[in-house]
Amino acid sequence: MNPAIGYTAIVAVALASALIGFYGLRVSRTTSDFYVASRRVRPWWNASAIGGEYLSAASFLGIAGLILLTGSAALWFPIGYTAGYLMLLLFVAAPLRRSGAYTIPDFTEARLESRWARRVTSLLVIVIGWFYIVPQLQGAALTVRITTGLPSWVGSLAVAVIVAVVVAAGGMRSITFVQAFQFWLKLTALAVPVVVLLLAIGGGDPPAQLTRADAFPAAAGPGSLDVYRTVSLMVALLLGTLGLPHVLVRFYTNPDGVAARRTTVIVLVLLSVFYLFPTAFGFLGRAFAPDIAQPGQADALVLVLPDRLIPGPVGQLLTALVIAGAFAAFLSTSSGLVVSLAGVISQDLLGGSVRGFRIAAVASSFVPLVVALATESTGLAGSVGLVFAFTASTLCPMLILGIWWRGLTARGAIAGMTTGAVLSGAAILGGASISALVPEVRPFLEQPAAWTVPLAVLVTVLVSRGDRRGLPRGTDAFLTRLHVPEPERR
Amino acid sequence: MSSGPPGGAAGDRSHRDAPARVRVTAPRAGSAAASIGAQPYPGSDAPTSDIAGVYVRSLVRSQLRLAIVSALGFVVATTCFALVVAFAPGLDEAFLGGVPLSWLLLGIGVYPLAITIGGLFVRAANRNEARYRSLTEEA
Repeated sequence: MNPAIGYTAIVAVALASALIGFYGLRVSRTTSDFYVASRRVRPWWNASAIGGEYLSAASFLGIAGLILLTGSAALWFPIGYTAGYLMLLLFVAAPLRRSGAYTIPDFTEARLESRWARRVTSLLVIVIGWFYIVPQLQGAALTVRITTGLPSWVGSLAVAVIVAVVVAAGGMRSITFVQAFQFWLKLTALAVPVVVLLLAIGGGDPPAQLTRADAFPAAAGPGSLDVYRTVSLMVALLLGTLGLPHVLVRFYTNPDGVAARRTTVIVLVLLSVFYLFPTAFGFLGRAFAPDIAQPGQADALVLVLPDRLIPGPVGQLLTALVIAGAFAAFLSTSSGLVVSLAGVISQDLLGGSVRGFRIAAVASSFVPLVVALATESTGLAGSVGLVFAFTASTLCPMLILGIWWRGLTARGAIAGMTTGAVLSGAAILGGASISALVPEVRPFLEQPAAWTVPLAVLVTVLVSRGDRRGLPRGTDAFLTRLHVPEPERR
Repeated sequence: MSSGPPGGAAGDRSHRDAPARVRVTAPRAGSAAASIGAQPYPGSDAPTSDIAGVYVRSLVRSQLRLAIVSALGFVVATTCFALVVAFAPGLDEAFLGGVPLSWLLLGIGVYPLAITIGGLFVRAANRNEARYRSLTEEA
């Protein structure tokens, strides 16, 4: 592959993101502007920004790679990533917007009237954010290595630095512009190559291709579904989305609850359209690039396929476009996460000032960088899926019960979040060594959400039930605030 | 009580200062930042009588019921769809553009379902809120 294409595409996206970010800087003045863009973002902008922030390395590179690697089981990943927004729409979108809080820890403290519940939530938000940024940086490492030949760490470092600078300089309002721009860039960067590749294959002499039955064996097809793993994955993805810190913070930028719902439906549409293209890439890869179907390599499918199927300048142009889209994915998801992490860290530790936000933004970018440099990626879609499982087991029960059940207490929430964190954390971190000893439990540790989420909910409910005196005094007033529609303003 | 479509009209009208809102898409110097403390508190002008509490609780219950029914509807429909795709005879052997029909259906079939349920939910949820509004305004 021609390294010049890689350099050009990466530098162009980085510059564009930085320029749009600094353009927004001129209007980011007050603390409120910094955190939630003053809540004056239109639904379409907001939905594009949510999509731009959400579509990470896992979506852009990981899904096509996983379809190539494992077959139709991977099709459940984009379904879950999208349907997570349906659950978000049904259970949290409007109430959360009406809560009037800036961050998830703010919500927890306002709802449960407890500093400790807030601290536990903050800690979880920070852990989730860091572990979600790591795969983004690993995706950047892979992209830089494949497309420019530079060492992997250059990619991770470049993304971490750009994100830290843009977020610290501009805050979230500018990031809303950047994210909205990046959604459309990412969509174009996959859609155009898919269309051109399909035309090229259909219109001329196709390159060496596997037979249909070899490319799409029934053993990897929808008929040979692993029921437990699929169900557990869907629990993680459907419920994990509601707890993702960078997703929730974006709902505060809707003007009211009704707009929050409308925005979410638009997000559903945008994501549904987007995911058609990684899926198409995965199908093309199964037919035309079976040789890279190996762990660690398959994620590069989207990057190498255009040049392979259409050698020459057209293929190189398409490759440049895909690289730009991939970098947009790493930058947008990481910066969304860094914004929400920096919001939490600066409010809890640094007094909530604009300067504290800047310091926190730099810190939130560099901790994951260290982790990303120290570890090796085994598959982007899979590692992001595990973060969803952790989120679904910790923040999701607290949020849903907090919004819909007046019986939730601070002790119940803390007990439930701790249970979910310990169980799913142990399954994720210790899964490999435990299943080496007891092979039967492997699927339950590799996809833990189906049992960790119900247990976390159960503990939350039982402890809250036993803690009748711990009911927050303002519960009724707060629930009224969450669910009563905004007064029609004068 | 809201007359137009609940989404569009109400959302647009809820802005008191339109110029400040333009600022986002066409930024220019300005202040008027809404801080969390300055936000009107939606519950504050809700009456505190027993009847008001009953109205609120019934609103919460109907919204929760709606959300659960919608979620179950999605899960059941998706499960049925997955079973049909997995076990309907011939879908693995029928090819469209070189890809088995079963793979294609699983790859694109669930999204329209999610969007449809989402759209229906929003209409019903807005209707629940409109009903609550008209009840409290009568009272």
